[in-house]
Amino acid sequence: MRKDYLPMALGFWGIALPLAVFGLVFCRTAAERLTAFLAAAVFALVGVLISRAKR
Amino acid sequence: MRLAPADWLFIVWYFLLSIGLGLYYSKKAGRSTSEYFLGGRSLPWWLLGTSMVATSFSSDTPLAVTGIVIKDGVSGNWLWWNFMLGGTLTVLFFAHLWRRAGVMTEVEFIDLRYSGRPARFLRCFKALYLGLPISCITFGWVTLAMVRIIQAIFDTNGVTAMAVCLGLTIFYTTLSGLWGVVATDMLLFGVAMAGSVILSVVSVEKAGGIGGIVAAMRGLSAQAGKDYLSVFPSLGRALPLAFVVALFVQWWAVYYPGAEPGGGGWSAQRMLAARDPRHAVLGTLWFNIAHYVVRPWPWILTALAALVLAPGLVHAPPGAMEAAYPKMIAHLPRGIAGIVVASLFAAFMSTIESIVNLSGSFLLNDFYKPFIRKGASEKHYVAVSRVVVLVVSILGAGFSYLLGSVRMGWQLVMELSAGIGLVLLLRWYWWRVSAWSEIAALSASAGCAVYLHEFPNSPLVGALSSALARAGLGVDAWGVKILLIVAVTTVAWLAVTFLTPPDDRDKLLAFYQKIRPGGFWGPVARRNGRSYGLQAYPFLGWGLALVTILSLLLGAGKLIFMDWAGAAACLAAGTAAAFLLWKTIAKIDWEGQ
Repeated sequence: MRKDYLPMALGFWGIALPLAVFGLVFCRTAAERLTAFLAAAVFALVGVLISRAKR
Repeated sequence: MRLAPADWLFIVWYFLLSIGLGLYYSKKAGRSTSEYFLGGRSLPWWLLGTSMVATSFSSDTPLAVTGIVIKDGVSGNWLWWNFMLGGTLTVLFFAHLWRRAGVMTEVEFIDLRYSGRPARFLRCFKALYLGLPISCITFGWVTLAMVRIIQAIFDTNGVTAMAVCLGLTIFYTTLSGLWGVVATDMLLFGVAMAGSVILSVVSVEKAGGIGGIVAAMRGLSAQAGKDYLSVFPSLGRALPLAFVVALFVQWWAVYYPGAEPGGGGWSAQRMLAARDPRHAVLGTLWFNIAHYVVRPWPWILTALAALVLAPGLVHAPPGAMEAAYPKMIAHLPRGIAGIVVASLFAAFMSTIESIVNLSGSFLLNDFYKPFIRKGASEKHYVAVSRVVVLVVSILGAGFSYLLGSVRMGWQLVMELSAGIGLVLLLRWYWWRVSAWSEIAALSASAGCAVYLHEFPNSPLVGALSSALARAGLGVDAWGVKILLIVAVTTVAWLAVTFLTPPDDRDKLLAFYQKIRPGGFWGPVARRNGRSYGLQAYPFLGWGLALVTILSLLLGAGKLIFMDWAGAAACLAAGTAAAFLLWKTIAKIDWEGQ
């Protein structure tokens, strides 16, 4: 993993995790839950892309 | 509204992440001013483009869009969508030139392009003008918008919450430099977008789904006599002058933060920080796509949902229309509300950190370094940069108390700079533009704005208003004012250009050889022995970029409102244009050899 980008990737994963957990615990409707999970998935994916970006 | 402990937990966690990320880069930033203000010129396109869009996504932006949609419907957004014309022009014709210029700031460009005492005066003046009053006004209106948000959400005066947020942002920005700013921007843009998407989904659900919104808007449109859902204004009625000015004048004439003609401010700072000219071009293209295609629909949906839930908003004062956005947070479940509140803080922080870093770069690189203390060590300049950034932050925070409203702030900046855009575009492509041209444009624009502020009913305003009304336009004072300032400024700087001598021949030749622009460089090109003509592909690319952005913007809207055939057509057109644009960009010689 590139040193310059590592903190950014960690930041994205650090947001993805609570988004997924909060979506599971607090969302009441299917639409809310789906949105929270999709947002968490996007954050996780962007984190992966950043971690693999070329320096 | 009261936030639950889970909301506060997320907000605290979000602040810790942002500050940690910013502080990580502080060691890197301390090496030199080039590292501090330009990240060592090593930024890849995706990072600099996202940083640009994060900066332009401020806390006041979703509120302003909500106000526009409630007042004028979706088509009201052309007040800012018009800037896509100038934004895409910058992508194809200016981004690579900025990177090739290799200067530290937009203001240092003056030293590269012009010579003599007028150039020295212009550099000093612009460093102070952009670094202090303009930065403070921008800082002020962004801060004021955040105060209003906090007031709307928490029912308090918001001073403590603002002080904490501002203090933390300034703390890590002062230490981390541009690398810290762009890295946190990346995260902040993600959080800001996630918050606006979540808020729009919950708001739409509360308003009865997309079907409920469409039905309610049809009823409202019939009552009000205008189509709230149409992306374009109705051609059957007198077109509002503000719309005509926005579409035909504003994007090339007005120097607005984030949408400067030919690039400037924080967008030029990111282009200058790019790895190479191609990365500058791709980053600016990504900024324009994210700015016009990715951002707007969640805000528009939230505004429409607010209108369904409170139809009385159409008759509310502008402040109440804008406050409808943060008030929708009350509909969110606990835990999720914290994410949306954090997203508004994210929008605020990403803009503030860029403003202070940019104004610090002007004051240090273009005022302190050349005029106060030349030849000091890099360590000294970095230390002064940090102090300057801190001072600008304190001044900006103070200025937010002087501004009456958010609108007052951006109107002031637009009026003061209306008309200077053309000279900023042509200075790259026309050898005859000199430092005097820019001085004349700046003076005429500011002078005319002050005159019209003091004498709003002058005979000139009356005559122009009558002429425009006779031409069938729905005249408004704002549109008339901008048209007048642009006209006076353009005549003034063109006259001064021809009445003053051209710039020094050697300076022009050095600029021409370094930048290698096309355009109107006749005598300089002859002296150079080689002419760099304008390529045809950037013109094609400009058209394709506009088709791409417009088609994807419309396609996303049609998809949301379940117009499947329209969405398929628009998205297919947008994808085809994007493919052709990619091929076109690949054919352009960005190094200009």
